[in-house]
Amino acid sequence: MVSLDLAELSVRDANTQLRKLGEAGENIEVLNPDARHHIGVGLTAPVDVMVNGSAGYFCAGLTDQARFTVTHNVGWGVGDNMYSGSVVVGGNAGAIPGVAIRGAEIVIKGNMGSRAGQVMKAGTLCCVGNANFMAGYMMYGGRIIILGDSGERLGEDMSSGEIFVAGKVQDLGSDAMLTDISQSEVDSLCEFLDRYEIKAPKSFSKVVNAGTKLRYGTPEQPMRSIPFSSFSGTSSYWNPKVQEDVVIKSQSGRYRIRGYGGARPLPHLSDIGFRKDLQNAGSDRNVVNSVEMATEIGGINGARPLKLSMPVMIAPMSYGALSRSTKYAIAMGSAMSGIAENTGEGGMSDAQRDAAGQLIFQCLGGRLGWNIHDMRRADALEIYISQGAKPGLGGQLMAKKVTPELAEIRGIPSGIDLRSPSRHPDILGADDLVIKVEEFREATGYEVPVSVKLGAGRIRDDIKIASKDGFDFVELDGMQGSTGAGSAEVIDNVGIPTLSAIIEAIEALEEIGAREKIQLVLMGGLRDGVDAVKALCLGADAVAFGTSVIVAGGCISCMQCHVGQCVTGIATQDPEHEKRYKPEIEASNIHRFLESVRWQIAALTDALGYSDVKNLSRDDLVALTPEAADITGLPYEPAAGPSAMREKGINV
Amino acid sequence: MCGIAGVMYRGSENFGTGEALIRMLDGCQHRGPDSTGFALYSPEPSGQLKLRFFIDPVVTVDVDGAIASIRARLLDLGATIEEEAKPGDNYRVMIRYTGDVQKLSYEMEHAAKVISIGTSLEIVKDVGTAHDVDDRYQVNQFSGTHGLGHVRLATESDVKPEASHPFWATGFADVAIVHNGQITNYWKMRRRLEQRGFEFTTDNDSELIAVYLADKMAQGIELKEALASSIDDLDGTFSFLVSTEDEIGYAKDRLAAKPMIMYEDDDLVAIASEEVSLNRLFPGRALNTREPAPGSFATWSRSI
Repeated sequence: MVSLDLAELSVRDANTQLRKLGEAGENIEVLNPDARHHIGVGLTAPVDVMVNGSAGYFCAGLTDQARFTVTHNVGWGVGDNMYSGSVVVGGNAGAIPGVAIRGAEIVIKGNMGSRAGQVMKAGTLCCVGNANFMAGYMMYGGRIIILGDSGERLGEDMSSGEIFVAGKVQDLGSDAMLTDISQSEVDSLCEFLDRYEIKAPKSFSKVVNAGTKLRYGTPEQPMRSIPFSSFSGTSSYWNPKVQEDVVIKSQSGRYRIRGYGGARPLPHLSDIGFRKDLQNAGSDRNVVNSVEMATEIGGINGARPLKLSMPVMIAPMSYGALSRSTKYAIAMGSAMSGIAENTGEGGMSDAQRDAAGQLIFQCLGGRLGWNIHDMRRADALEIYISQGAKPGLGGQLMAKKVTPELAEIRGIPSGIDLRSPSRHPDILGADDLVIKVEEFREATGYEVPVSVKLGAGRIRDDIKIASKDGFDFVELDGMQGSTGAGSAEVIDNVGIPTLSAIIEAIEALEEIGAREKIQLVLMGGLRDGVDAVKALCLGADAVAFGTSVIVAGGCISCMQCHVGQCVTGIATQDPEHEKRYKPEIEASNIHRFLESVRWQIAALTDALGYSDVKNLSRDDLVALTPEAADITGLPYEPAAGPSAMREKGINV
Repeated sequence: MCGIAGVMYRGSENFGTGEALIRMLDGCQHRGPDSTGFALYSPEPSGQLKLRFFIDPVVTVDVDGAIASIRARLLDLGATIEEEAKPGDNYRVMIRYTGDVQKLSYEMEHAAKVISIGTSLEIVKDVGTAHDVDDRYQVNQFSGTHGLGHVRLATESDVKPEASHPFWATGFADVAIVHNGQITNYWKMRRRLEQRGFEFTTDNDSELIAVYLADKMAQGIELKEALASSIDDLDGTFSFLVSTEDEIGYAKDRLAAKPMIMYEDDDLVAIASEEVSLNRLFPGRALNTREPAPGSFATWSRSI
């Protein structure tokens, strides 16, 4: 056994050594831990680790196969997202022990804090003492064994899995119920306890999901056919959209869920124009090669940056909302154009990983598909806080799309109306977030950029937090952003426009002198290279496209993404529908579209008089409407307005 | 968005509370690198009031003039000045004063930036880390019976010394608070207290908790009961510590969204956001700590 003394080593150095020793098959002892955070994070070798004392947050987090023993206490999130292996804690555990585990065994000899086993998928969490409140909150599978008393609201909104309590079940949570326990289950519990030398109690109560909230009472109805143009473009107070909404609600009796983007007139990038006469745009046939567009994102704090051939990436969209074939096509298209693809919520597939040149791996509150192995093969990691289409809400995936295959990669039961948690179990403020970011860095050896996805709401504050918490870049998503499924009320009524978001973000960063400390990727209804150039002029380091990439790849904008029977095979998990989708052909379409974007960016940059996109400046812009002038502070010049531009033959 | 810490030594003599809190806050500085503050208690047997003012070097051209006008105002209000000092950007003055402290506080608030008033309490806070603030204000020299500390990551409000924690309960001598979380019904509660004549010097929700509790205590309600009612009356997420001349206490919201952990033995009680802070008082020793339950509160009294 090798000893690592934290009185002499930093946790970062100790973890580096731990991983090396683990690979060499050495067992390890950690001395003087003094409740420091992140001990053992990222260890993926079948070795024994003895922590002599108390550990802090995320002890044994993001690990696989290792067997940890902590002689005293642990802080929040012991065994976070552990794949296999075990942790035995001699004392008490803080909040969310066993959060998001995917198969490990965690034993707490003392008491455990609140929300134990939140969003766990598989494995066993056992507490010899008492549990605090909301044990089993939103768990998707696995089992929790509590030998003492349960605490309040046991099993709150659990979807699946079992909770066994030997002491008093103080109080059941929403959608949890008591049920009978079988002899084989008792035998299995006794076998587990025996293995950890814990005396089995005489009897257990068993708590499972009651099944009242797994599915909506009424299924989501297809929308009545309204073309997207009139869905979003009308300005009258009562209109076909409102009428349709009332009629559907008179049947369903609840809020609406729909896919696609915000659909109300809002100030947008189309409300600003270029100040300079662009009549020379496009005169240089070789412009794509003469303008410098290569952009690095994510390297400012020393991580290995994404290397983009132009300041463009793909917006996060999940396998789940989209079919596997669509994600595959986007991965291929993005690779052909030398830009980065993003997994979105639903985990990473091998085909997607192989096809994408560069891939950002997104982590959401439900930790669906999240794991250490895919983190290691990602080119960047991203913590999703919220998205522009529905700030403050988690994803929704209707039962039709939650197929067994999809459920497996996410680690959830199949066939439920999946409402992903809107909050992370372990990020309840900027102070927790900084510890989470550090955990990801520890797990990936500080080599992979870490970004944050922010839906634009209180962006002035949020962006400051993002820079203070040490993120490498922000994906900033305005209100015009789209979604695979979200509450229609939220899509149209929550957040601030993309244009306001970028202005606020830049101002806030300049206020605290941090503009150079974080990079900004703008998204939320950006359509093409013209929008991209405007965003770059306003201060974005890069942009991301979602909807326009989907449309380039065959989407017909019918707005039925949530239903699951997408006729083009894009927003569906039904093999019959997916068969229609030809990934190779659509990848080429996406690639061609991205190349048109490249040409637009190059031609406009050149016409504005620059040889490098990094020199684009807000001085090149004017506002075309009073609202846009008010938001951006750009001069309002009706003489440069759309009609005047069109007269000059310039397309705006 | 922050980290909090508190310590109370059992026994009536003075202990190195300044040094203890520096260590505890250094342990959780990652939770808040922007500013750091201390509320330190050391009973003043003479009964004099200790006042600390912040003289902002950025906006104050004439520091001596600013101090002279504070002195003049104090004398106007009937105070006798006994002792003065100018540590860092503070003006510290000890006075004899027999009138209504709340009236004095509000009058002085209108004239200058008051950091704290008390017979025992002194608040020291500024931008930077625990060690930065110690370097400027010699916090390690403080000894006393108990104290609170806070590290802050500024979100809503600016990074300014006066927006740092701990917060003094404006108008109420010797009451201080450190808070981790966010009170969502802040404006509603504040308006209620303002209608009853209380004044607020910042838009920070922690000041509200301090005034809320101090008001209850001024009505003769025990600190413990005031904490109990705070859990019902305050909405949002919170873990906070409060201290008075003789007591410290905590309260935690029902959702337990913000961390808190405590250690108690025959010599002291220590509470912090994270165990790593508690361990700074006992390096190399595994502690028997306890996490307070959601919606719980407790108080400890100093031995007199």
